[in-house]
Amino acid sequence: MLIGGEIIRTMGPEADVRDRKKLDRLLLSIADGNREALGELYGCARGAVYGLALSILKNSQDAQDITQDTFVKIWESAGYYRSMGSPMAWILTIARNLSRMRLRVYSHMAEFAQEQWDAIPAGSSAVTVEDRVVLQTVLAALEDQERQVVLLHAASGLKFREIAALMEQPVNTILSRYHRAIKKMSAQLKGDVPL
Amino acid sequence: MTDRELERKLEQALDHAGPDDVESILSRCRAGKGTVVEMEDMITDGTVKNNAGESGNGNGNGGNNSSGSNGSGNNDSKNNGRKRRTWSLAAAAAVLALILAGSGGGIFYWQMRAVASIISLDVNPSIELRLNRNGTVLSCKAMNRDAAAVLYEMGGGADLEGIKLDVAVNAIVGALLRHGYLDSISSAILISVEDSDQGRAARIQEELVTVVDTALQMSSSQSAVYSQKLTVDAGMEIQAQNNNISSGKAYMVNQVIALNSSLEFEALAALSVEELRDLIKIGAPGMPIGTGAAAIIAEEYAGTNVMDSNVVRDVDPELDDPVPHYEVELNLLSGEEFEYRIDAFTGAVLSGQQDILNALQEPGNGVGTGSQAQEPGNGGNTGSQVQEPGNGVGTGSQVQEPGNGGDIGADGAKAAALTHAGLSESQVSHLEVERDWDDGRLEYEVEFKCGGYEYEYTISGTSGAVLDHEMEWDD
Repeated sequence: MLIGGEIIRTMGPEADVRDRKKLDRLLLSIADGNREALGELYGCARGAVYGLALSILKNSQDAQDITQDTFVKIWESAGYYRSMGSPMAWILTIARNLSRMRLRVYSHMAEFAQEQWDAIPAGSSAVTVEDRVVLQTVLAALEDQERQVVLLHAASGLKFREIAALMEQPVNTILSRYHRAIKKMSAQLKGDVPL
Repeated sequence: MTDRELERKLEQALDHAGPDDVESILSRCRAGKGTVVEMEDMITDGTVKNNAGESGNGNGNGGNNSSGSNGSGNNDSKNNGRKRRTWSLAAAAAVLALILAGSGGGIFYWQMRAVASIISLDVNPSIELRLNRNGTVLSCKAMNRDAAAVLYEMGGGADLEGIKLDVAVNAIVGALLRHGYLDSISSAILISVEDSDQGRAARIQEELVTVVDTALQMSSSQSAVYSQKLTVDAGMEIQAQNNNISSGKAYMVNQVIALNSSLEFEALAALSVEELRDLIKIGAPGMPIGTGAAAIIAEEYAGTNVMDSNVVRDVDPELDDPVPHYEVELNLLSGEEFEYRIDAFTGAVLSGQQDILNALQEPGNGVGTGSQAQEPGNGGNTGSQVQEPGNGVGTGSQVQEPGNGGDIGADGAKAAALTHAGLSESQVSHLEVERDWDDGRLEYEVEFKCGGYEYEYTISGTSGAVLDHEMEWDD
């Protein structure tokens, strides 16, 4: 996760606990109306929120919209947050619900059925060639649900059981999807698309 | 490349591709969250400003303006939701505005933002859409509480802005169907088109009738579709706003008043589209009693008004019948149905069986021992009981407890309801689950509150299917 420009990775249980405590603290500050805390939380979680929204909506523009809306919603709802050990799951639940609401609207649109995987927002200068390959080409080779699991695991730091709860699927299903996705991605990268 | 390296690349790519514009979020986050945002603050595009008539209605519904707000403390998000896509375009829009200010592009921009047509859809929910000359939705506004509930899942209407009219109407009809407004054969939807260009109005009218009709047919709804072109003056618009109806329905009400000037606008505004249409058809001889009063009269006559449960299944206005009446259908828990015909203007009971509960208590009638006894869950029992034969639903159809494998459990029911609502348990309050029986079927009643709304679900206890749901303002 990016915090103040520095990449902090969840490397083990201790770091994991630290990250969770940090997110907890930020959410409690936001509940008190601290705007800086919201900015910091945005830096920590925007990638994960974007990844989840993208995996559900399959469209970069919509995913960007939902990402922004999610943090506004967090600002408004932080007062309801109760620390139960998984602040990221709480954040992603908001993102998931907003994404599903958007899907409901789209489900009535004929063109939605033809929606293709579109992960790269237009005019995004920060996206490198490598990002493009990973996000667009490699992920396009996955099934929707495989993509969802792998994006969540990579970007959110959630444990598989938490992802299972978030996606409302059995943990075994999530695990097998994850491993299948990683295999497919590795094959793609090795075979067809050199990085 | 290891799995971890692969994941790190993904994480990095998401960081690069995702939005990085915290300022736009902070600009949408107001201090003192949870307070009602003033109406002026919520209007962003200037296309719809005339909400003065609604703001004073005192029911928290005054925010049904173009921004789709509901006027409650939690609606800043919906207000802000309206600004979707604008965050990434904000800078471009500012530059564009500067360019347009000094060029003919300004005229083009204005035309794209100018309202060319106003479309209203009325069932009981009244929804108004404003379009530019290209048929793109500029704003979508809930005119009453029912409409606000229908549009809730579409950001209060904000999600429909910027898309084509047919797509927006399709989405609205879908939501109306899901909310059960077009289930009954007696229901009707009125499409009204207001446009100074009569040719365009006719084209829009024709297109919408096709869109709505197709959507209804695909869902096997037998609702009627009515449409009208109209010209609305300022006076009528104020009447519409004061009564929380669309200008299309106001136009229809005025047609009735033109036939019978003794009728009052406010009372007529409360009638359904179907009732108004029938009144016009028969020359508006008087003020009908309305579906609510018809149901009460039928229940009193049947004696079911002493029961706790709602036995009124449907009230169908038949005002264009030779004897104008309301057809009221009562359904008992035992599955038995009773029909009553209530005179539409006098309230007299024209036909139907009187005092059905006493009649059915007679041995062999199979409905049980009395009105209260038919209610599973009465007498302090919260709903997990098995009905004893003869004590509840009847001798011929006593409830059988399904095996454990057939019961999804309270948690399963809760999950089904929350999933349907698109909410998580952490987001809702006052969550209650009650196990219940209905005509021998195991059901769960799930209730919770969120975002100023009360949700009520009936979930099948065996399949987890959503049998019924309601979402209404929490007063």
